[in-house]
Amino acid sequence: MLPVLNNADSLAYFWPEMILTAGAMGVFLFDLAVAKSPRRILWLTVASLGVLAAAALATSHVAGLSPTPIGLFNGLLVLDPWAVFFKYLSWAVTALAILIAGPSLEVASERMGEYCALLLAVAVGMSLMASSTDMLMMVIGVELVSMVSYALAGFKKHDRKSSEAALKYVVYGGVASGMMLFGMSYLYGLLGTTNLVGTAARMNAQAAMLAQAGVAASVAGAGRVAMVVAVVLVLSGVGYKIASVPWHMWCPDVYEGAPTPFTAFLSVGPKAAGFALAVRILYGAMSVSGGADLATAVADVPWPQVVGVIAGLTMTVGNFAALNQTNLKRMLAYSSIAHAGYILMGVAAASETGSQSVALYLVVYLFMNLGAFLVVGIVGRLSGSESIFEYRGLSARAPFAAVAFAVFLFSLTGLPPLAGFVGKFHLFKALVDRGGSWQITLAIVGLLNSAVSLYYYARIVKAMFLDKPHTEERIAVPASYNLLLGALVGLVLVFGVYFDGLRQLAGSSVVLFGHS
Amino acid sequence: MSPSPVGPYLPLAVTLLVSGLMAAALPVLAHFLGPRRASKVKSESFECGSVSEGSARQRFAVKFYVVALLFIVFDIETVFLYPWAVNFKALGWFGYAEVAAFAATLLVGLAYVWKKGALEWET
Amino acid sequence: MSQLAPGLPHFLVVGAVLFALGTYTVVTRTNAVGILMGVELILNAANVNFVAFDRFNPSPHLSGQVFSLFVIVLAAAEAAVALAIVLAVYLNTKTIDVTEADTLRE
Repeated sequence: MLPVLNNADSLAYFWPEMILTAGAMGVFLFDLAVAKSPRRILWLTVASLGVLAAAALATSHVAGLSPTPIGLFNGLLVLDPWAVFFKYLSWAVTALAILIAGPSLEVASERMGEYCALLLAVAVGMSLMASSTDMLMMVIGVELVSMVSYALAGFKKHDRKSSEAALKYVVYGGVASGMMLFGMSYLYGLLGTTNLVGTAARMNAQAAMLAQAGVAASVAGAGRVAMVVAVVLVLSGVGYKIASVPWHMWCPDVYEGAPTPFTAFLSVGPKAAGFALAVRILYGAMSVSGGADLATAVADVPWPQVVGVIAGLTMTVGNFAALNQTNLKRMLAYSSIAHAGYILMGVAAASETGSQSVALYLVVYLFMNLGAFLVVGIVGRLSGSESIFEYRGLSARAPFAAVAFAVFLFSLTGLPPLAGFVGKFHLFKALVDRGGSWQITLAIVGLLNSAVSLYYYARIVKAMFLDKPHTEERIAVPASYNLLLGALVGLVLVFGVYFDGLRQLAGSSVVLFGHS
Repeated sequence: MSPSPVGPYLPLAVTLLVSGLMAAALPVLAHFLGPRRASKVKSESFECGSVSEGSARQRFAVKFYVVALLFIVFDIETVFLYPWAVNFKALGWFGYAEVAAFAATLLVGLAYVWKKGALEWET
Repeated sequence: MSQLAPGLPHFLVVGAVLFALGTYTVVTRTNAVGILMGVELILNAANVNFVAFDRFNPSPHLSGQVFSLFVIVLAAAEAAVALAIVLAVYLNTKTIDVTEADTLRE
C-alpha cells in the first residue's frame, strides 16, 4: 500500500513546486524592478533560469528523500520516479523556451517578465499533472497548464492571428475541460472517491457487487454504460492535451498563431505532461498489475485496442494533413500530431517496456522538435514569414541552421543513426513484444506512416539544399541561437549512438504507485 | 450562565441590535454632517452607473470589462476562505499560514495589476 | 412524504439536462461569448453531479463538495481569461463571431 503523508509533512517533499511558485511571483515583481534597465531581457532570463536551476536541485533533493513511491497531501499527489522524471523534463523544456524567447523578436522586452513568470507557472502545472493521483489534482494541473497557455498563445495582443489562435484554443480547451469534469463527476459517483489509486480494484469490486446483489441486468448494464462514458470523457480531456485525433483540431491553428518560442514549448511540454498522465491513468490506475489486466478493468472494454485505434488514426491524419502544408509552423503542428500517434503506440502496449519507450521518446522528441521550431524561429525572425518559400536555398543563407534543420527533420522521420530512430525503435519494439495480431497491425501502420512522413520532411530538405534562394541576403543568427542549435544537434547525434544511458534512465523511471 | 434555550442566540441578538443601530445612525449622521448639492445627475434614479432610460442595447466602454475581469478573480477567492473560516479552530496555525500564503499570492497579483496601471480609470 | 423527497436520480437528471443544453449551446452558437456560456453550463452540470453524489454517498467525506468549489473557481478563472481573449479578438477584428476567425488557414 502506498504510504501517504499529511499536509504539513508533505511540504518537505514539495520544494520544487514551492520554489517555482515563489519564483514565478518573484519574477513578476523583479520585472517591475528592472523595468527601466536596458538589459531587462537578460536579467529576466537569468533570474528565471536561476529559479529553474534551484527547482532542479530541489527535485534531486526530494527524490533522494524517499526510495519508494510516497503519497503527498493526503493522497492528492505522489512522488515516484515517474513523477521525478517528468519534473526534470518539465524544467528542461521551460528553460529552453525561456532561452529561445530572449533573442526572438516576438516577445517584446516590456513583456518578457510576464512571459517568463507565466512559463514558470505552466512548469508547476506540468509537474502537478505528472504527479497527480487524485482527479482533483489532475484537473488543477491540467487547467493551470491550459489557462496560462491560452494567455501565452494570444501573447501578441495586436496580432490578429495570435488572438484568433488564443480564441480557438480557449474555446476548444474550455469544452474539453468541461467534458473531462463531467466525466469525472460520474467517475466520482461510481467509485465513491476522487482518488485514482486502486481504481481498477474498486471497479472490479463494484462489478462483483452488482453481480452478487442480483440486480436486474438492465441496471447493471446502465452502470457499465455510465462507467464507459465516464472513462471516455476523462480520457478525452487527456487526448485534447496531447492533441490526438479526434481532439486535434485546435492544434494547427494554435501552433501557427502563437509566438514561435511558445509554440516550441507547447509542442513538447504540455504534450509530455499529458502522456505522463495518460500512462498514469491507463497503466497505473486502471490496471491492477502491469497492464495485462487493463483489458478487463473497466466494463470489459478492450482499452489497449481502443488506444491502439486512436494511435493509428492520429498518426495517419497527422501525416497526411502535413503532406501539402506550405506553412512550416503548420506542417510541424501536423507532424507533432503524428508524433502523438507514434507515442500512443507505447501507451497502447500497456506494459512496462511500453511506458519506458514513451518516456524515452519524449526526451528525444524534446531535443529534435524544439530544435526544429528553433530553426523556424530563426528564419521567421528576419522575414516574419513561415512559408516554405523562405526556406529555398537556406543552405546558402544560413548554412549551419540548414544543416541542423536537416538533422532534426531526419531524426523526426526516424532515420538511423539519429536519436529519433532510437526512440521510434523502442516504441515499435514495445508494441511488437506484446505479440498480438492487432499490435503487429498497428506497428505496420506506424511503419507505413513513417515512410509517408519522409516525403514531407525531405521536401523541406530538398528546398533548403537544392532550390535557388529568392534572395542572396544572409540570415543573421544570434550567437546564443547557434550555441543552442549546436547543443541540440549534438544531443540528437549522441543519443542516436549512445542511447544505453537514456534507456536505463527511462527504464528506472517506470516505477509508478501501485506496482513496480 | 444557566443553560437556557435563548443562550446560544444571544450573540446573534447583539449583532442584530448593533447592525440595526448602525443602519439607523448612518443616514441620520449623513443628513447632518454631509454637504448637500443637488444636481441633475444626482436626482436621477440610481442604476449602477448606466443610463436609466433609453435602449438597453448600448455599448459599454472597455474599461468596465477590465475591472469586471479583475473583480471576478479577486471575488472568487472568498470561495476558499469560507471553508477555512468554518474550520478555523480545527485547522489551527497551520491552516492560518496556508491561507496567509494564499492571500499573499493574490496580493502579488494585485500589486502587479496596480503597478501596470490596469486600475487607472482615466487613461 | 418520502417518495416526494428528491433522491439521487432527480439530481442526476438535472445534471444530464444541463450537460445536454451546454453541449447543444457549444455546438450551435457562433458567438464566442455564447459558446463560453455553454461551457459554463457543462461545468455546472458537473457541479450538480459532484454535490449530489457527495450528498448520497453512503460514507460522505465532502470530497465531492470540495471538488465543486474548485470547479467554481476554475470556471471563474476560465471566464476571466476567455473574456480577455475575446476582447483582444474584438479589438483586432471588430467581431466575436467564431466563423469569421479564419485567417489561420491557407
